[in-house]
Amino acid sequence: MRTNYRINSGVRFEMLSQDQLQELFDGVLHVLENIGLEVHHDEGRDILKNAGAWVDGKRVRIPQYLVKRSLEMAPRSFTIYARDGNPKHDIHIGPGRAHFGPGPTPPNFIDVETQERRPYVKDDARIVATVVDALPNIDFCESLGTISDVHPDLAASYEFAEMFPNTSKPIVAWSYGWDDSEDIHKIAVAEAGGQDAFERRPNYVHYCEPLSPLVSTFEAVDKLIFAARHRVPLIFTPCPLAGGTAPVTAAGIIIQAAAESWMGLVLAQAIQPGVPFFMGGVLSVMDMNAMILSYGAPELALMMAGATELAHFAGLPLWQTGGCTDSKVLDEQASLEGSISCFFSALTGGDLCHDVGYTESGITGSILQTVMMDEAIGYSRRITRGIEVNEDTLATDTIHNVGPNGHYLYEEHTHRYFKTEFWYPNLCDRHNFEEWEAAGKTKMRDRVIERTRDILSSHKPSAIKPATKKAIKEILEAAEARVKDKQ
Amino acid sequence: MSEVLTSISNAIIQGKKDDIGELTQKALDEGQSAQDILYKGLMPGMDHVSDKFKAGDMFVPEVMRSARSMANSMKILKPLLIETGVAMIGKVLLGTVKGDLHDIGKNLVGMMCEGAGFEVKDLGISVEPEAFVEAVKEFEPDIVGMSALLTTTMRSMGDTIKALEEAGVRDRVKVMIGGAPVNQSFADKIGADAYAPDAAAASDVAKKLVKKS
Repeated sequence: MRTNYRINSGVRFEMLSQDQLQELFDGVLHVLENIGLEVHHDEGRDILKNAGAWVDGKRVRIPQYLVKRSLEMAPRSFTIYARDGNPKHDIHIGPGRAHFGPGPTPPNFIDVETQERRPYVKDDARIVATVVDALPNIDFCESLGTISDVHPDLAASYEFAEMFPNTSKPIVAWSYGWDDSEDIHKIAVAEAGGQDAFERRPNYVHYCEPLSPLVSTFEAVDKLIFAARHRVPLIFTPCPLAGGTAPVTAAGIIIQAAAESWMGLVLAQAIQPGVPFFMGGVLSVMDMNAMILSYGAPELALMMAGATELAHFAGLPLWQTGGCTDSKVLDEQASLEGSISCFFSALTGGDLCHDVGYTESGITGSILQTVMMDEAIGYSRRITRGIEVNEDTLATDTIHNVGPNGHYLYEEHTHRYFKTEFWYPNLCDRHNFEEWEAAGKTKMRDRVIERTRDILSSHKPSAIKPATKKAIKEILEAAEARVKDKQ
Repeated sequence: MSEVLTSISNAIIQGKKDDIGELTQKALDEGQSAQDILYKGLMPGMDHVSDKFKAGDMFVPEVMRSARSMANSMKILKPLLIETGVAMIGKVLLGTVKGDLHDIGKNLVGMMCEGAGFEVKDLGISVEPEAFVEAVKEFEPDIVGMSALLTTTMRSMGDTIKALEEAGVRDRVKVMIGGAPVNQSFADKIGADAYAPDAAAASDVAKKLVKKS
């Protein structure tokens, strides 16, 4: 029997103090109440005004009490469900739970066969979803691209239609506006068995992106209204560049990004009280030489950690970022940048960590990078799982049994724990030199490519219902009819 | 194939070291020959284990249990095999060389060789060259396996080979060496017959050495 005994489950990470977080929090409230944002959506402004916001032309200011009430309304813990009922693919959002997945919309993709950079095509969405479905440490799916070989207005509809049948892991859906959001929602609802069933067990998350600095664009607000009305869990995530479209300092970019995201929070909660909401923001530096938003900068990991702590302080889950790189190819830089941001993200417990598989500063998606990062995430998760201390793990009896000069390989204790205490790599090579040499002297990148091809040739994701298959066909036909006269 | 031999193979794969004795006895009672139990029951089981291990689907503690199960069965079969004149796969004499107290790798080699069907005698740690010589005369092994972890102690391997030569017993055995600092060129330099980079490779090398001789 233990008394006054404290257990630390896993590695503990804390950067900002409660005082510092309170100061950041007050900073966000100050920006929203005194500076406000431009909201480019008439109905959106009306909804905000009716909820208690101060509207002056396009400028919307939000009083502190309204922000705090909206934070109260949004849940901290909830579940996004696998479409097929597989509990292993459910995502439980809540304190201390970090999840990982790819990101949306790069124009290019690294071809799995040729490793060449080329425009993203429809079949790539199938490839990404299939690989995501098979990877043990990737929890949700995004497409890693914008489909270039369909009518441009239908890129998102086709993307979701390709991904949905090929993974039962929850999808974070991206779209242009109302119509394609509706296409996506209809597919998800068809599989869930109706709107009510969907609301009980939501099987996807909707992604909306406002503009920095301090603008809620028409499209972002329109998509948010759609998602909130249909009770789709949603992400409202700006992409500010420190020194370009946001303050150069980490504290400054964090409060601006939070203000931009919480405008969406207030609007969403005014429409649908209690709709699950992820605070967003890809926070990184504008490289002052290369003029890119750096996805491999240490400041990205650092700023995202600060944003995560602020979100959790405010009682919101966070849309984290990691596993991404500025490198153009699957190389040492890609591994270094991606692995460190994955590990840091895992430490923060940021709730959904996206962009695992972004390369070339978000310009090119690479499922090969995602596969390599699956290993980095597994590695990170073993560390964050920490050390369990109890009578059995202390192993004094076993130490007694073995004694000096013995060995532990026959011990029942060893047998009981060697699979769970140790992490086993899928890609990192630990063989001796001779075995490595005999197996073809493969490099990490060779093994990544091989594993990706293996998955694609062997993995069979669980099937969607026949009725959903039919619904997808009809939805896409109707979507084609909708755009047939548009250029 | 007979049911009992299949269950012996399975018992090896599952590492049922406490049940294997009973199963071996049952097979003998059912009229199976010791030779068939070894070559159609135990060996296919160990081959399967070895394949799984190389593929990364089985792990050292599991392989150790399988090897121990094999050894437990061999205790029963050995006198019968000798009686019927069936050649044993071979004998391995092992030791960590003089001045070196590290033995986990050498123990692994011993267990892997047992699992491959060898009779293994382990002289322990910091074994003097003279002790190797005495044991070679007494135990009459096919293979002498030496291990060292330290660059400072690996030269004792050369000393031991010299001692075997001086005692006139070098030709009776094959010498196999291993350990972190050791490699093929060192093996060549000191006149060892073989080098193995790890325990799994060691039992394969041992099998090849006895085939040659």
